[in-house]
Amino acid sequence: MKVSLNWIKKYVDIPKDITSKQIAYDVTVRTVEVEDVIDTSAKFHDIVVGKILEVKKHPNADLLRICITDIGEKEPVQIVCGGSNLYEGELVVVSKPGAEVIWHGEGEPVKLKETKVRGELSYGMICGAVEVYLDKLFPPKEETEIVDLSAVDCKPGDNVADALGLSDIVLDIDNKSLTNRPDLWGHYGMAREIAAIYDLKLKPLKEVKPDKNLPKYEVEIKEPEKCPRYTATEVEGLYEKTSPLWMQVLLTNVGLRPINAIVDITNYVMLAVGQPGHAFDSTHVEGNKIIVRNAKKGEKLLLLDDNDIELTTDDLVICDTKEPMGLAGIRGGKKDSVLPDTTKVVFEIANFDAKTVRKTDKRFDEKTDSAIRYEKNLDTETVSLGVSLTLELLKEIFPDSKIVSYNDVYSIKTERAKIEVSQEFLDTRLGKVLDRKSVLKVLTNLGYDVEFKDGVYHVVVPVWRSTGDVSIKDDVMGDIARLLSYESFEKKPLLVKFDSAVKQVDVLLERRIKEYLAFRCGFNEIFTYPWMDDKYIKAAGFDIKKPIKLATPPAPELSILRTSLIPGMLEAISKNMRYYSDFKLFEVAQVFENGEYHPSTKEETLPIHKKYLTGAIVGKDAKKIFFEAKGVIEKMSEYTHMENLSFKQGNKPTWADPNAYLDIMHGNKVVGSIGLVSAKTMLESGIKRTNIAMFELNTELFVSYPSRTNEFKHLPLFPLVEKDLSIIVDESVTWGEIVSSIKKIVKDLKYVGEYRGNQIPEGKKSITLRVWIGNDDSTMTSEQINNKMNGIMKVLHKNCKAELREE
Amino acid sequence: MLEKLEKVKEEGLESIKNANTESELEAVRKDLTGKKSSLAEVLKSLGKEDAETKKTVGMKANEIKNLFAETIEKRENEIVSTKSVLDSPIDLTLPGTLVSGGALHPITQMCYDLNDAFLSMGFEIYSEDDISSEKFAFDNLNFAKDHPARQSMDTYWIEGTEDKQGNERLCLRPHLTGGSVRYLLNHGAPARFVYPGKVFRNETTDARHEKAFFQYEALIVDKDFSFSSGMVMIETILERVFGRKVNVRMREGFFPFTEPGYEIDMECLVCGGKGCRVCNHNGWIEVMPGGVIHPNVLRSANLDPEEWTGFYVNIGLDRLVMMRYGVDDVRYFHSGDLRFLEQFK
Repeated sequence: MKVSLNWIKKYVDIPKDITSKQIAYDVTVRTVEVEDVIDTSAKFHDIVVGKILEVKKHPNADLLRICITDIGEKEPVQIVCGGSNLYEGELVVVSKPGAEVIWHGEGEPVKLKETKVRGELSYGMICGAVEVYLDKLFPPKEETEIVDLSAVDCKPGDNVADALGLSDIVLDIDNKSLTNRPDLWGHYGMAREIAAIYDLKLKPLKEVKPDKNLPKYEVEIKEPEKCPRYTATEVEGLYEKTSPLWMQVLLTNVGLRPINAIVDITNYVMLAVGQPGHAFDSTHVEGNKIIVRNAKKGEKLLLLDDNDIELTTDDLVICDTKEPMGLAGIRGGKKDSVLPDTTKVVFEIANFDAKTVRKTDKRFDEKTDSAIRYEKNLDTETVSLGVSLTLELLKEIFPDSKIVSYNDVYSIKTERAKIEVSQEFLDTRLGKVLDRKSVLKVLTNLGYDVEFKDGVYHVVVPVWRSTGDVSIKDDVMGDIARLLSYESFEKKPLLVKFDSAVKQVDVLLERRIKEYLAFRCGFNEIFTYPWMDDKYIKAAGFDIKKPIKLATPPAPELSILRTSLIPGMLEAISKNMRYYSDFKLFEVAQVFENGEYHPSTKEETLPIHKKYLTGAIVGKDAKKIFFEAKGVIEKMSEYTHMENLSFKQGNKPTWADPNAYLDIMHGNKVVGSIGLVSAKTMLESGIKRTNIAMFELNTELFVSYPSRTNEFKHLPLFPLVEKDLSIIVDESVTWGEIVSSIKKIVKDLKYVGEYRGNQIPEGKKSITLRVWIGNDDSTMTSEQINNKMNGIMKVLHKNCKAELREE
Repeated sequence: MLEKLEKVKEEGLESIKNANTESELEAVRKDLTGKKSSLAEVLKSLGKEDAETKKTVGMKANEIKNLFAETIEKRENEIVSTKSVLDSPIDLTLPGTLVSGGALHPITQMCYDLNDAFLSMGFEIYSEDDISSEKFAFDNLNFAKDHPARQSMDTYWIEGTEDKQGNERLCLRPHLTGGSVRYLLNHGAPARFVYPGKVFRNETTDARHEKAFFQYEALIVDKDFSFSSGMVMIETILERVFGRKVNVRMREGFFPFTEPGYEIDMECLVCGGKGCRVCNHNGWIEVMPGGVIHPNVLRSANLDPEEWTGFYVNIGLDRLVMMRYGVDDVRYFHSGDLRFLEQFK
């Protein structure tokens, strides 16, 4: 919302030493956020009033004139102009060299220079309305018309903005910060805040009441809950005219386009006191009666552009005896338009229920200035301010007009809230002892009625804040704190009451896992969205039986919430393939599954959540990356201090290669799987010419050690002997079998490498392993070593049919 | 004979001096002190000479032999002390070998920084699940029944529940605050905890708006707690993030779950508060909302608002991370793009 300081000054005298910048700061800190401070005169620099002394022909152009113009300087100046309404003695808008104008009303402002036009010197230009931002005030009838200021009280040399009263400071206020403050949607409410901030006097509004003896205009309210109050004022003796310049200027400064005096009055009242109003051409009101009711099913409202909108029974409509004329509190239809021949008008100034208006304006997407205000929950008393100001303005602008009938159907009155706030409550919660005088002053300035008795403030909330905004003592405390300014409260130390250390092993485990993957294993952490793309669900081969879907997904193909992090991972890999060939990614996030889960209360049932960890290694050499990924999982438990993980041949994940996948186990529970990504999955994900090793684990099945559990082992007293052994075995013999057959008879063993080739018979492979052997009580002799190695070979031969490979 | 020895000595010392490597010196050593050396030959030829000569020449020869040994050792030291381990020239401008290693997401890094700070102040770390009911996401938090945030234009509702209410209407959580009541229901008061996590909003995305973003919320619930202690919490966060003291101001703000509520601004670090493009020329940047926990929220958590009060701060981590590094597009965070992520090692 735009707030004009000129307008505010009608209601409160602001001392000169308070700058507009200061006001913007204080309003921001204490009331609502001022996003911008606009000096409306800035764009009028070097644009002044000129008086045409003489109009001469241009020697070289038929359509141009040379105007000798007084612009308040020592000598008159010569200006070339093509205006169609030039005459001697006319007061015009002159943009001097240095001024910035919108050339022909289009594009960015252009800085003027003294120049020659068709050979004749021109000192700046005489401007049309669109060139100098005056088209709202002086709408041109034709393109070549220049602005005629002769009717304005001004003299040559005056700055145009000053002459027209356009010099104003406008505060642009963030509408979001106004949501809970219906009272601030008019200048008077904002003036009250500013007065309270600086402890200034707020001038009372003039009270004009309709004559009690006026005949009643017939009004019937069928839904008093939705329309607590409705006033109708029928006025005759009106005609089409423009509103006075001061009103046009104020409306323009806050961004409204002046239309005609009748419409401008309703807009002005709304921006002044925050009360929307509406004007119906009285002759259009069939039966001279206004009925406020719910729309009937299938009923339609005809709009000004001859389209109609279909109403529902939820919509509140303003009707005559025949049909709807407007949507209550939102907009009028064709029937109620004020036309050039309108002479008799019914002014509606009413209160409508916020929820009803919100429902309807949302359905029709009609967030009008009026609807925005009703949505905030206006009180019923503000209607009186609206009526009063409307009558005052009618008298001023249409002195010959006459009120012929009036009605005020007031079914439900907004009650002022009553709240008790103890001094003790304020002192503890604010952390500061406030003296009673300043509390009383703040509250009174804001319109509260306060009485202090026995340590308690008995507060009656102003009616304009009683529609929900202020309803409990905390709200009152908030008002006091903000007006004194939060900045004025000293910081208090944050005391720690220490009874036990925070110990959250699972939180720490997750962090250790992430750090292990990133810092030790070289993975980069990614974030993906909680929904999956259908393309990657299909690529991963998932067949989700009972998907959990979004009602309004970001895109039709992004509706299913994730059951796995793999589709998101595939997408991330595919995007990165453009720039990288070898990389590692991981993500830790929640996945969802149909089921029942009650994290907080029995009444609340959520789907099952699990926290998954997914990692991927991308590279050309499939075997290499598979074992790299396997190594990451093998070492993870040791480095992150959790119970061991192991591997087992299990069911093939849908995304995995037919020959390379394993279950990852904790004890005999499956906690995840690891595998190479299948050719089919990669193809469908658009991933080419590479391989991916991937793992996915349910981190909730991990068991963290309460602390580090590494155990110290004594260093061997006698040196161990390290021996390499190359054996030849059938292809079908696995490393796992070799390990289990000899692990008990060696101190340690390690896989060195595999070899197939020339010297190795078809169907066989050579495996090189390293063993460590030794005695516990002495150094091994060479004879003992030979015997031991022969023994190992014998066992391998027996269990794995292994032969020693001859060098 | 003695002249001959003198000559051997001269020549010997010369050749030691000329040896430039360890192997050359080794050859010289063999030459001078070995069995076939000139010195050895001189000694061999002594057999025919008289005892006197034998003695004089013998002593002289020994003297020379010792001198050789000494000189060789000296030369050897000289050679080793200037010797290079390299056997070929080296280009020292070649790049160093890459240290391989990945990175945590920049938001995770920031989150851990804050966790460390809060743990030191005795806060627990809590997390709520991604899916919540309307009851916890809105009702408990004092959101009006027809609050716009409850609409599907703002919140991602789960299909099949979108027309239900309260406990039965489910959504991807639109903020973290629902977690505060969950924690308080489980743990009671007093309490101090942080609950970082992702939240989701049905937004049209651009450089400043995302559908998924990361928040970090902290809550203290205690007796006789004053909001002016909350300021310390705010300053701690910002000091932790930016590594130095940052000026902050609290101003009026409105949130259903606080009363009073604040917007917390920090002084613009780009211009030092003078006003620039980044801060829209007013010297302040909005970083987090906060406020005193609303009595109705305490009631939802079965706590008596007459007895308990508390203070919230909610930090948009995306925004803070953007300020920390000068990132100008929030969409990078969920892009999974390594060109972006690799910068935060």
